[in-house]
Amino acid sequence: MTKNKMTTPILKNLRILDFTWVLAGPYATRLLADFGAEVIKIQPLIPQEEDTFSRGYYNTWNRNKLGITLDLNKPQGVALAKKLVEISDAVVENFTPRVMANWGFDYEKLKEIKPDIIMLSLSTMGNSGPWRDYSGFGPTVQAFSGLTHLTAYPGRPPSGLGNAYADHVAALLACLALLGALEYRLKTGQGQYIDVSQVEAMAGLLGDAFVPGEEAVFQGVYRCKGDDRWCAISVFNDDEWLGFKKALGSPPWAEDERFATPSGRIKNKQALDGLVEGWTKKQSAEEVMALLQHQGVAAGAVQDAADLARDSQLKKRGFFVELGGTISDAVPIRLSATPARYNREAPAPGQDNDYVYRKLLGMSQEELAELKGQGVV
Amino acid sequence: MNGGSVLSGYRVLDLTDDKGRLCPRYLADMGAEVIRIEEPGKDSGFHWQDLGKRSITLNIELEPGREILKRLVKTADVLVESHPPGYLEALGLGYSLLSKINPRLVVASVTGFGQSGPYRDYKSSDIVASALGGQLYLSGEPDWPPLKPFGDQSYYLASILAAIGVLLALLRRHTSGRGQHVDVSLQECVAAALDHALVRYFYQGEVAKRQGGLHWNNAFNVFPAKDGYVLLSLFYQWHTLVEWLDSEGMAEDLTDEKWRDRDYRLQHIDHVIDVLGRWAKSHDVAGLVVKGQSMRFPWAEVASIPGLLASPQLEERGFWVEVEDSDKGKKYRFPGAPCSLSRSPWKVGNKAPGTGEHNREIYQELGLSEKEVEALIKEGVI
Repeated sequence: MTKNKMTTPILKNLRILDFTWVLAGPYATRLLADFGAEVIKIQPLIPQEEDTFSRGYYNTWNRNKLGITLDLNKPQGVALAKKLVEISDAVVENFTPRVMANWGFDYEKLKEIKPDIIMLSLSTMGNSGPWRDYSGFGPTVQAFSGLTHLTAYPGRPPSGLGNAYADHVAALLACLALLGALEYRLKTGQGQYIDVSQVEAMAGLLGDAFVPGEEAVFQGVYRCKGDDRWCAISVFNDDEWLGFKKALGSPPWAEDERFATPSGRIKNKQALDGLVEGWTKKQSAEEVMALLQHQGVAAGAVQDAADLARDSQLKKRGFFVELGGTISDAVPIRLSATPARYNREAPAPGQDNDYVYRKLLGMSQEELAELKGQGVV
Repeated sequence: MNGGSVLSGYRVLDLTDDKGRLCPRYLADMGAEVIRIEEPGKDSGFHWQDLGKRSITLNIELEPGREILKRLVKTADVLVESHPPGYLEALGLGYSLLSKINPRLVVASVTGFGQSGPYRDYKSSDIVASALGGQLYLSGEPDWPPLKPFGDQSYYLASILAAIGVLLALLRRHTSGRGQHVDVSLQECVAAALDHALVRYFYQGEVAKRQGGLHWNNAFNVFPAKDGYVLLSLFYQWHTLVEWLDSEGMAEDLTDEKWRDRDYRLQHIDHVIDVLGRWAKSHDVAGLVVKGQSMRFPWAEVASIPGLLASPQLEERGFWVEVEDSDKGKKYRFPGAPCSLSRSPWKVGNKAPGTGEHNREIYQELGLSEKEVEALIKEGVI
């Protein structure tokens, strides 16, 4: 092993009590776990019957975490959770705001248990305002934020993105905020409350819609040979336009005066698109990409999941992580001195009960057995 | 009770183009002093990603410009850049050299494909990253070309991830005393934000396809209502939903026993959508959403920007900031902080700097005399 690999993970001394579910919350805590945080995931006692997809979904977003069972609907369960708060640095949750409060786990209460605790809440609308109790999933957030409305073909109804993109966005911004709060705690010794409205987090990435600007790049998605195969192409400037023409074998139409300047290419996009597609559809998306990239033009095949799984660039950079026969995506932050580490598959329910309840909380075997008997853990 | 900001006292040098431009803005939001470095003689115009930054001009392709950058690096904690891999090395400004000048420096690089691999030197753009990262294929209607998500989303994702990398590296620096290099690839950032797509492929061998406003698992659909578009769920609280439609005489045959079976509904989803579509069309968006949400349906207005700006929720939470484009003398209502921190506020600045606006202060602080500055301007260095 190189010295590099022996480096202590950055977040090694960070313990997170993880109340999250679905995607946004688990994605946030997964990133922190990948960089060494000890994430203790609270799991329901009776595992729900799950199909292959749900199992895969859970495995994917919960690697590197510890799992404990705990019934928060029993008073002994709530008491136990309080003990866990006492030994944690941060609490992360993504329920609608009333849920944690109902258990007595709003920030004010957590602060009484652990004065420097950092609490991170991710909810659809945030923890205040007339719509605070609105519930939602990725598509709800994307619709409310403006993203769905803005992602439409000209003159067609809104189409949106086809995946819960906003969950990833809110999770990552929440991570950034949480790391900020850690830095702040290091300086001042004080914890704080982080309230993330997923709708607000997503709306912040729609800046172009609030500040009028003009399209300055000739670009598009062009049909290629094969069923549902496409290549995306961007031409930023005149140098790239020269390369573009070369890649296409210098067709006479490319010398049309209408296409000679960047503004001309944008103004006459429709005509130009038709001519470009006349060329792309005769070859594969990968050939189009290679020919254009060789001439210094940004081009990329429109890849589906199967293409991604065999993408040579992703592969070479180790983007796909294998753990116990399952595959998931790496955290796309490559740190030279302290890289992310992938040590454990997602935990089975209660897998780490002994470690957490006995070693961390110092409970005896008898106490734990009693709680088990009462159906608390 | 607030007590200063997270990154006060940190200096960040911003050498990005649009790919990484939002990363230093987040650091500015959190209180860092961000100095954007622009090419002399070019007005880069107003960018919302530059809010709260300072700006100087400096040509790092000229030797005196490189020397000045090295002096700046000695004063900095972080440098964020998005040049093609190898560009800064060729100028003698690569990470290994910069870290010799300032071992505590954290450098973040945002590029199309990262600092390694067979595509490292390929060109990229937002639409190309979206294509190669797998987002584009998932978006749009089935018989139409893939649809680019609004905005340069791959650039924004990469910027957030780079900012996370910077904070991680700064946290480590407290104990190690050393900075490190953060390598972020647009393609990877997109591929790491695909929700269901890779899970379905690796666990079920299924290749996810786009299906317009119908969510991938048929759980939601976008419907035209009387006065706009509304997002309705198709499965949640089925019984309650059918009762509601029925109370208005619009449930059609959905009251039949057979529709209670979830699998049956999934197999005949088109019919469910037709019936719900007729119902939605006879209602206002707000009426559906307010009543639906009060009954715990995860429904939403498909908000336009004017709709969003009029939202009582965002208003009440004080989400908006007023942003000034001093070039055009215009003011805009603009999205504020994405996260509310109770002690160390995340604050979006309300002004972007003019190109080179802070040349005098910053060069003076570096110890350059007025005369030296004049000479450097003449030589095209500043």
